Amino acid sequence: MKKTVYKGSIILLLLVMLAGCSLPGLASTSKETLKIGALGTSESQILAEMLSIMIERETEADTELVTHLGSSIVQHQGMTRGDLDITSTRYTGTDLSGTLGMDPITDPEKALNIVKREFVDRFDQTWAPTYGFENSYSVAVTKEFAEKNDIETVSDLEPYADDLRFGVDNAWINRKGDGYDGFQETYFSFGEVYPMNVGLVYQAAASGKMDVVLAYSSDGRIKEFDLKVLEDDRKFFPPYDASPVISNEVLKKYPKIKDITERLHGQISTEMMQELNYNADVKLMNPRKVAEQFLEKHGYFEDAEKEGK
Amino acid sequence: METLEQFINYFSQNSDYIWVQFYKHFLMAAYGVLLAAIISIPLGILIAKYGKLSSWVLAFGSIIQTIPALGAMAVIMIVMGLGTNTVIVTLILYSILPITQNTYVGMKDVDKTIVEAGFASGMTRFQLLRMVELPLAVSVIMAGLRTALVIGIGITAIGAFVGAGGLGAIILTGTNATDGTPIILAGAIPTALMAIIADLAMGWIERKLQPVKESKTTA
Repeated sequence: MKKTVYKGSIILLLLVMLAGCSLPGLASTSKETLKIGALGTSESQILAEMLSIMIERETEADTELVTHLGSSIVQHQGMTRGDLDITSTRYTGTDLSGTLGMDPITDPEKALNIVKREFVDRFDQTWAPTYGFENSYSVAVTKEFAEKNDIETVSDLEPYADDLRFGVDNAWINRKGDGYDGFQETYFSFGEVYPMNVGLVYQAAASGKMDVVLAYSSDGRIKEFDLKVLEDDRKFFPPYDASPVISNEVLKKYPKIKDITERLHGQISTEMMQELNYNADVKLMNPRKVAEQFLEKHGYFEDAEKEGK
Repeated sequence: METLEQFINYFSQNSDYIWVQFYKHFLMAAYGVLLAAIISIPLGILIAKYGKLSSWVLAFGSIIQTIPALGAMAVIMIVMGLGTNTVIVTLILYSILPITQNTYVGMKDVDKTIVEAGFASGMTRFQLLRMVELPLAVSVIMAGLRTALVIGIGITAIGAFVGAGGLGAIILTGTNATDGTPIILAGAIPTALMAIIADLAMGWIERKLQPVKESKTTA
């Protein structure tokens, strides 16, 4: 009987040990693996791949991607828990109202300065320089519908709103501040609201299944499906400039990462991002290939070689 | 037809990526079942010996089985954080019932007269377990592992939601794309294949471990 107790305790001990560390084969055992978090969108994955490629080329560290995270809150929790070291895309407006719980600010400069300051103060994380594009929520209709009813701004939709079907991103509908509740206060309610996977809204609008959709301004499919983005005339949506966020601990260890984010700063315009997203979402290219192509085309690899010499 | 073409195209262009995710997917499922086996086989033996416990333990296992996997994973994520460990813990939970139940049934099915004969010839309880009962029950226990692994491969596909990657991540990517059916297929077909192959392989092992080979020809 003693023997079984002994054996049992060994098994238990082994189990505890196994649960404590990551299992072989699933995560590289070296401690130098930086985890880069990305949302489920192609954009987020493409940028995560870019960071991953450049960090692996220019520092000693290995990287691992943690993709398809549900929202920026999940990304943030991952960062504070230490599950992630870097998150590839964080948007000023989203984190201002979501993570920081502050009121939305419409001035992009001010918003950026606030998140930069608050992230250092509260979480010891660096809000890196922006990529240069904005991925704001924008209300879109088909060009046909806009021309027929002479619609330019979101307010122009008000007379028709009760009969319109509004297709939106799952994550948006319950957001505080810049979500649907806030939208109704500033603008009006739509007849019916259909939350769905954000990838579906463009096609839904183009095929006539939805009358109005909430699109992402950097998505390549706005052009692809010939949608018209309406002007946010009551300035409801805050700015959503995209930046990576990096934990200061990692930056201290790998100061090179700061150079990398500075070299990407301002390099990806909204049009460029639309094109990259188009490659992934419509041409079905792998995000890693899209990222590689971009970096190669814009000479990031050459720069690194020159600096290396 | 166009979808098929795009699928083949995507598959050949990203075969490395798909293979990495396939491997990761399989490892997660296998670890989950393996760790569950370490807990559940002793548990099954225990409840076979002490019959009173059995209804409680099996009921508890069934209750776990009723929780939707996605919900369970979300709750476990709060404790375990993002990544593969969360998926593995979820798999352990879902594998407990099939493995424990099969171990229990396997042990109960061992012919009592054989056990008595062993006992009469002076075997200790541990010897009886190791030399008589377990060898006779092993094929039924393997059937439990087989069920657990096949279920596990399916559950692992949901793991993409907690940042664990695997073939589920490819499926999710496909749902985000316009006309992403080729990508969805590139994730779904390997998942299905993995489950089928795992089922066949475990079935083969199960038959190999069948203790009384002659009974197959007579039965």
